Amino acid sequence: MNEITFQKDPITQATINSKIGTHLDGAIVTFIGRVRKNSRGREVLYLEYEIYEEMARKELQKIEKEAVDRWSLNTCIIIHRIGRVEISETSIFIAVSSPHRKESFLAAEFIIDEIKKSVPIWKKEFYNDGSEWISERS
Amino acid sequence: MKITIKTFAHFKDICGFQEKELTVSDNITISDILREITRLHPEMHKHATSVLCAINQEYKDLNYRLNDGDKLALFPPVSGG
Repeated sequence: MNEITFQKDPITQATINSKIGTHLDGAIVTFIGRVRKNSRGREVLYLEYEIYEEMARKELQKIEKEAVDRWSLNTCIIIHRIGRVEISETSIFIAVSSPHRKESFLAAEFIIDEIKKSVPIWKKEFYNDGSEWISERS
Repeated sequence: MKITIKTFAHFKDICGFQEKELTVSDNITISDILREITRLHPEMHKHATSVLCAINQEYKDLNYRLNDGDKLALFPPVSGG
């Protein structure tokens, strides 16, 4: 099962549990990205994510396809929050499954690294005294 | 010919629009459009080397020549995840 979801609502354990793994899998690796309270020395109150959804979906499909093909994954689930996300909430959830663990570990790391390079989603941090758009590479 | 320009994140704040339809001359490149946008919004200048461009949801470089109906997106480096 492969799935890409963008959602405004919190990512819950129930959402996660219902989707991962098949009877062929001996390994499931999950990655949970969370919102930190501190960012570059400033206290963050919350984040907002903006997305170019049509393009983000296409880019994620490419990443997902490459990961599934390269490591023969049976499951690849990617859920990204959009809009306002609070401190300690999950901003991104990735789950992959495969017969053996090595493939899942490699695939999960590849997927999050690629997302951070190419998927058109932008983070805005809000502080007590203002807000700022974050560009990872500038 | 007619094209659509979309902007995101702080580029949207600088340019003051999220989506705009424009009539442009044939053979125009993304670079030409970016130059005009920077003339109108000088604050874009400092982002000149980091701007990312997409045509119809696919990454393109600045030399790309636009076609009628193209959707050009201009945005800063991504920061999702």
